[in-house]
Amino acid sequence: MHWAREVPGPAYPERTTEMDRQAMETPWLAKRPVSALRPGDHGWLAYSGLEERDRVIGPFVREGLETTEKVVYVTDAPPDRLPGLGSGHRIDVDAHRRTGALRVISLRDACLDRHGDFEPARMVDTLGREVGEAFDQGFRAVRITTDHSWLVNGPRRSDLGQVLGCEHRVGDTVSPSTMAMAICQIDRRACSPAELIALRDTHEVLVEVNPEFDDGILKIVRTFEPDGLRVEGELDAARHAVFAEQLSQVNTGRGRVHLDFSRLAFIDLGGLHLLAKHATLRPGGEPLVLDHLSPHVENVIEMVGWHRLPGLVRGGDEGPRPGSGGVG
Amino acid sequence: MITRPAGSAQSDSFTHRVLPYDGMDQYLDGVLPFLLDGVDAGDRVVAVCGTGRETLLRDALGPAAPNVEFPDPATWYAHPPRTLADCLHDAADAARSGYRLRVLGEPVWATRSPIEVAEWQRTEAVTNLALRGTGASIMCPYAAALPAGVVAAARRTHPETVHGARAVTNPGFMDPWAYCERHDGEPLPEPPPDADTFKIDLPDLYWLRAYVGEYARRTPLPEEDLQRLLVAVTEIVTNALRHGEPPIVLRMWTDASGGVPAFVCEVGDAGRWPPGTGYGLVPPRPGDAASVGRFGLWAVRLLCSTVQIRLGDGGSVVRLRFALPPSADTNGA
Repeated sequence: MHWAREVPGPAYPERTTEMDRQAMETPWLAKRPVSALRPGDHGWLAYSGLEERDRVIGPFVREGLETTEKVVYVTDAPPDRLPGLGSGHRIDVDAHRRTGALRVISLRDACLDRHGDFEPARMVDTLGREVGEAFDQGFRAVRITTDHSWLVNGPRRSDLGQVLGCEHRVGDTVSPSTMAMAICQIDRRACSPAELIALRDTHEVLVEVNPEFDDGILKIVRTFEPDGLRVEGELDAARHAVFAEQLSQVNTGRGRVHLDFSRLAFIDLGGLHLLAKHATLRPGGEPLVLDHLSPHVENVIEMVGWHRLPGLVRGGDEGPRPGSGGVG
Repeated sequence: MITRPAGSAQSDSFTHRVLPYDGMDQYLDGVLPFLLDGVDAGDRVVAVCGTGRETLLRDALGPAAPNVEFPDPATWYAHPPRTLADCLHDAADAARSGYRLRVLGEPVWATRSPIEVAEWQRTEAVTNLALRGTGASIMCPYAAALPAGVVAAARRTHPETVHGARAVTNPGFMDPWAYCERHDGEPLPEPPPDADTFKIDLPDLYWLRAYVGEYARRTPLPEEDLQRLLVAVTEIVTNALRHGEPPIVLRMWTDASGGVPAFVCEVGDAGRWPPGTGYGLVPPRPGDAASVGRFGLWAVRLLCSTVQIRLGDGGSVVRLRFALPPSADTNGA
């Protein structure tokens, strides 16, 4: 076992830890975009749809293979159907499998007993073995991922206590490692909110999509439930164009678009006008919903007048909302 | 430049009349027919006056009194551009629902500082532009006991004067734009020599806001006003960067020169404004978000206590004033 050995190759730059509302309630949780994941991270992704899953796991898998790290994917899905590996990604799946950089391991081989039931100890052993081999093969890091949805929902569902126990042991081995990082996936509709919270809390890192834009002043992150954007930092004329572009990307679908403004510290009048302009272009006349406005930003909007900004409506209050990152 | 359309004073699409009065008899002679006509016509009738007047009017109105609204004058007359915006909103609301707005309004004069008085007088003038064609009727009683200058200004800002039940064209009425131009021609007091001065040459205003915020936090400016200040200064500087000429200079200080302690933030540049910008004086019509620039400057007026604009050959200056809490120490910062 080589979980905690020195890593060959270039070191990862210093990690950034980002606190958010959920992280503040649960201080052991850090939230990181997928590309900021580092060895030692035992990450959690509760996805609300395949687009969200693919936009997290896709880069996780691809970046690993592109930087000669090892990728271990425990799944029964065919390799060319996995996120980041399908057609259009120009990744030679077979070549990577031959060199051992890509390991797609079936559930039966990874974590099931003779009767086809989940056996947590086997999962832990399998992952330990894969990491050990990766070290011997000279990979500088191992990226591990699997989807747990089948464990909590479906014909082969397992006892939640068993799953939690397994997660704790995986966490105990990944967290001190200087080589291994993992993302445990789950379809957030696969189990109850209470089960989701229990599972989430066995992880230290919430993984989310990479931001669409981040220059240190303004950060724009795609959100999936609800559909929209989280806008952080300060928005003024210097960044109207990039914001308008991102807004038009999510402005195309039907249904309401939500903008999470909980961490928006400043928006200028031109920004408000831009929002109103986009709202009037929404298909079906659905408004743009502004969620979690800070009191300062809301005060400015009220002074200008909501009625002067047609198509914008005030959404949820500051504070945790049902369905926020990681919890169904 | 907008010139007054011929005969607009007689137009029944909007009336704005001054009622000079000396004593309660003259007051009631003018006010009662105005209110009762409105009640009879099914207008939304609003009388903004103190509690003493309200009692008097309710008695005089008799059975019609319940059809007249008496809002709190301190709320109604809280802030000139906001009052005007709300009034326009109410008038448009009424028009959409098929009736008209009728307002009896008596701004508070005695307790206002000179700067505030000037802004309320300007609002009287701009009302003629803002509410044109809305069908609204506004009557403004002015007591003879008011300072002569206040009554004289009222004659310049109201197209008609009421004598009893009769309204006559007011010969002293000035074109509202000409009135505003005169008002904005008065030179502003020089910034104090110790004003904080900052030359803006970076287009990214993130740093500017950090700088302004840090300075403002050392003054008694309430936290709630800080965000408004940052939005307002961002808008003005964005305009200066887009349309003005360098150097763009920001100055900040606190003073009490206008009679009330204020936080002052001034943006100057060497450019000249093209004619017809409107200076954000006239609120955009509800539902009309067409003109971004006008919306911006108008919104800045909503966010600040007072906006003073001075244009000339030497460049352009926009001075944003935020009233400070009365007891505040204005020597801070």
